[in-house]
Amino acid sequence: MRLSVGGKVLKVLSYVFLVTGALIILFPFFVTIITSLKTQQQSAESFFALPTSFYLGNFESVFQKAGYLTYFTNSVIITVTSVVCIFLLNPMCAYAISRNMHKKYYKAVYFYVLCGIFVPFQVIMVPLVKYLGTLHLTSQFGLIIMHVTFASSQAIFLLTNYIRSVPPDLEEAASIDGCSTFGSYWRVVLPLIKPMTMTIMVLNALWVWNDFQMPLIILNKDASTWTLPLFQYNFKSQYTYDYNMAFASYLVAMVPVLIVYVCAQKYIVAGLTQGAVKT
Amino acid sequence: MSKDPAAAAVPAKNGMKRRSRVMVLFTLPVVLLYSAFFMVPMLLGVYYSLTNWTGIAKTYKFIGLKNYSTVLQDKRFWNAIFFNFKYTICLVIGVLVLSLLIALALNQLGKSSTVFRTIYFIPAVLSLVTVGLIWNELFLRAFPPVGKALGIGFLSTSLLGNPATAMFGILIVNLWQGCATPTVLFVAGLQSVPKDLYEAATIDGANAWQKFKNITIPFLIPIVTMLVITTTKGGLTIFDYIQAMTAGGPAQATEAIGILIYRHAMSEGKFAQSIAESMLLFVIVAIVSFGTIKLTNNKQVGED
Repeated sequence: MRLSVGGKVLKVLSYVFLVTGALIILFPFFVTIITSLKTQQQSAESFFALPTSFYLGNFESVFQKAGYLTYFTNSVIITVTSVVCIFLLNPMCAYAISRNMHKKYYKAVYFYVLCGIFVPFQVIMVPLVKYLGTLHLTSQFGLIIMHVTFASSQAIFLLTNYIRSVPPDLEEAASIDGCSTFGSYWRVVLPLIKPMTMTIMVLNALWVWNDFQMPLIILNKDASTWTLPLFQYNFKSQYTYDYNMAFASYLVAMVPVLIVYVCAQKYIVAGLTQGAVKT
Repeated sequence: MSKDPAAAAVPAKNGMKRRSRVMVLFTLPVVLLYSAFFMVPMLLGVYYSLTNWTGIAKTYKFIGLKNYSTVLQDKRFWNAIFFNFKYTICLVIGVLVLSLLIALALNQLGKSSTVFRTIYFIPAVLSLVTVGLIWNELFLRAFPPVGKALGIGFLSTSLLGNPATAMFGILIVNLWQGCATPTVLFVAGLQSVPKDLYEAATIDGANAWQKFKNITIPFLIPIVTMLVITTTKGGLTIFDYIQAMTAGGPAQATEAIGILIYRHAMSEGKFAQSIAESMLLFVIVAIVSFGTIKLTNNKQVGED
């Protein structure tokens, strides 16, 4: 393929633009890494200089003094449990709705659950605090319930429309062969809608892992239950004097999700973008 | 497993009944959770907003719409709304322009853009709080020395420390992270344009701009619509970045409506009033989303 002069100029311009952009994206990571490996004195001498030796004291403090592992474990438990519940409850409900859309009850359920898409979390944030308090649910368990509940509107919307495009012939064949309703759902329908369930799980895993507002209003009182974002927020003031340690904590907070990104990039990009397109 | 249709009819009817009962069961967990933890708090909120509850006191009275009139006369509320609108307009324009430019550049490079795509998407997976805190340090410690050395006035102190520039500090961070997904969407949109349309246009003598305006843009309109809606909602409900970076300061310059609600409820004892504020936020978000859908739909028809 031959390019015209204009085409070549455009290509060079694109390169320059993209390289500049990439440097801007990577710059905060660069600063985070070098600062976390330097002592305060080294950073004071020159903020941008590369570390001359590998100083790991900052990481030691994050793990030992700040108790990083507790918050990491909390985040893992909350994320995994929420995503498993979202996976168990939503496709099932969406399946029932999309196969019975002609009946009043299911149509009503569909639009009832869909209302939630238009309500930002901040609208129910304040009454929720009192409500969960009365039910003694200001705990990790309560947080999981809220994540699962709040995921429903979008999940039901995406899944119902997706399942409608799957012809019912296969499930009908399965039930004629003696499969129970649940059996044909679990063994026939669920595998067929795997692309959409994957999307929903990726979307929600990232949302729950990174969520800050719900943990802030539900868990803030009890430090032992904090998630990673909440821990970072609460340690902000303690870190003002020791920003090398702060950067070390930012780095260890980002590493888990970056590792997942590198391993499952294809699914994550597909999940986040499909979720956005179809809402 | 009977092959005789008449004999199979009775169990089949029973089967249908059982099947429809199981189908109702399938919907129950979601319906119950949603009712108990979404609808009930929402309705409780509507009720509390009509009382004078402080959130702590044991008793409270029904006072009708008084909270709403207090809120509508509150300068701080209007200050917050004004901030949100200013911020949202900048954010929507910024996200659309930047991510479209990046997508066009990525599309120019074709297959050799893989590395760039990987890099540009990284911010999308990170927590807003972590990103906000990192940029906070950058604004505080990394940029001022550079600004001083180069003699750039607004960079020589932290952007976030000055009421006039704080919003732009937050905006920069939001754009750094918020362009990732829109870029991927635009790239997919650009690739969905049939190649022969461009070829036909070239034969007809169209220049690059004409091709972009008449072929590319119409194909991207649905993506633009969707991005305008999601970004608007994001801008009107911004919370994490501000809480992590400025907590509404300096001098309430970045006090978004979400922050105001949080503060009134959690630290200023204006519990019922803060709920009235959040109900108004709901109305605003609903009207704006509805309006955007209407507006962009008309445009799409006009383009066609």
